[in-house]
Amino acid sequence: MIEIEDLTFQYRESDAPVIEDMSLSIPSGAFAGIIGAAGSGKSTLTYALNGIVPHCYPGDFYGSVRIDGNDTCDTTLTDLSQMVGSVCQDIDSQFVSAVVEDEMLYGLENYGVPHDQIEGRVQEALEAMGIADLRQRLIASLSGGQKQKVAIASILAMRPSVLVLDEPTAELDPASSRNVFALLSHYAEAHGTTVVVVEQKIALLSEFTDLLVVVEAGRIRFAGAPEEVLAHSEELLEIGVNCPRCTTLMNRLAAGGLYAGPVCTDVPSACRALCEVAA
Amino acid sequence: MDGFLEYVPGNSFLHRLNPVTKIAFAIMFAIACFCTGNLVFLCLMLALGLALAASCSMMRQTLGLMRAVLAFSLVLAVLLLLTTPKGDLLVELPWGYIGSDSILAAVVTVIRLEAAAIPLFLTFYVTKMTDLSNSFVKVLHVPYRYAFTFASTVHFIPVFMNDMRGIMEAQTARGVEFDQGGMVRKIRLMVPLCVPLLISSVRKTNSSAIAAEVRGFNLRTRESGYKRYPMTGADWAVIALGVVVLAAAIALSLL
Repeated sequence: MIEIEDLTFQYRESDAPVIEDMSLSIPSGAFAGIIGAAGSGKSTLTYALNGIVPHCYPGDFYGSVRIDGNDTCDTTLTDLSQMVGSVCQDIDSQFVSAVVEDEMLYGLENYGVPHDQIEGRVQEALEAMGIADLRQRLIASLSGGQKQKVAIASILAMRPSVLVLDEPTAELDPASSRNVFALLSHYAEAHGTTVVVVEQKIALLSEFTDLLVVVEAGRIRFAGAPEEVLAHSEELLEIGVNCPRCTTLMNRLAAGGLYAGPVCTDVPSACRALCEVAA
Repeated sequence: MDGFLEYVPGNSFLHRLNPVTKIAFAIMFAIACFCTGNLVFLCLMLALGLALAASCSMMRQTLGLMRAVLAFSLVLAVLLLLTTPKGDLLVELPWGYIGSDSILAAVVTVIRLEAAAIPLFLTFYVTKMTDLSNSFVKVLHVPYRYAFTFASTVHFIPVFMNDMRGIMEAQTARGVEFDQGGMVRKIRLMVPLCVPLLISSVRKTNSSAIAAEVRGFNLRTRESGYKRYPMTGADWAVIALGVVVLAAAIALSLL
């Protein structure tokens, strides 16, 4: 679904490439997570996926990004937006309406979705994010977490085949963050949507993603299943990515020869592994 | 919510009117106020404006607007007093005099501005910006990009005001005394803050434009709008009232 080949991008006003020689393949229906230290090029990578780079931010663009076979450089932003739904980091700037219902309608009206389908899509997206009761609320009166859900729901209503989210849980507490990931995961599975999410909460990524990509200084340092990537907990720590503590603990036990099982990505699996070690 | 120019939900008669009716009536009302200098008529217009505000429970916000308009209109009124020597001499000035008609002209200016502002102001409080822009597209056939530009401009006014408030609070926390001294000192302190406000405003509008574009802004047509804005009997009645008010003002000005 998403093919990135030798991508290098440098903003016109910057001195060095933000993304350098990046290649990545994300299959259709995958739930991919991108993580990395601040300034490592994560957001620019999302811009490359939804076409904002190079269509809105000019610069030197080398290599290619293909979404379902369409080169993002040759496809207009409007055409790309029909395939790729985006939730940006600054959600307040994404809102164009004062009321949740109008925000939901915005994209559907623009794309000329038949009017007899609109109500169903709006309701489905609101229910998918668990915010059906917020439909008539003023966006300005919502909490940060509710706004995040509205922003995601307004994109889900357009039923994109690819969903790109830049730190969608930045303003959420851990429980709400997990709730958003669970809702997203459930929706993506039900609709076959490919999801690419930039996130700093690695525990969430390791729990929900099929593919975990670690970016360092514009390059992909690790990419693979969460278990494969988290096996490098020491290297991840060096580049500013903290692994879940249970993973770090079990990796250290493994390094000391005390544990030889698979990488533990969550607390229950680490508990089971520790019990085995103790036994 | 009662932020400046932010929609206040409700189900009053004004809320239910077609957005085009509201803006058309407000414009006719404002033009009528400027067509005549008849003080009695203007007082009636002011009373009508206040009645409209009361009908949609917007008196508090309206009185706040009237205070702001009063400050502006008083400046104009004083200028008129000092520069239009008319009527019976009341106070001698080195360059002329203040006459009885000068006072009348000053009072008319204040009442006229107060009366003209109220319906326009109410329109924004009882109408969602998206409804206003969508109805322009559906009913008046205004191209969507112009209607969206208008709606976005109004949408950003409270956003930028909140940003300015945030910047001022941050500066206050660092010891800048905005509450000390007079208006000139306050303005002098605020001028340097316009730079960060301008930068954040440009960033926000740029992000907003990109967000709109990646949601198919360029594909929008008049037919693709979901909501319909039919003109009802009440809408035509209100427009007829606006025409009558405007005609009366023009007739008074010709008499």
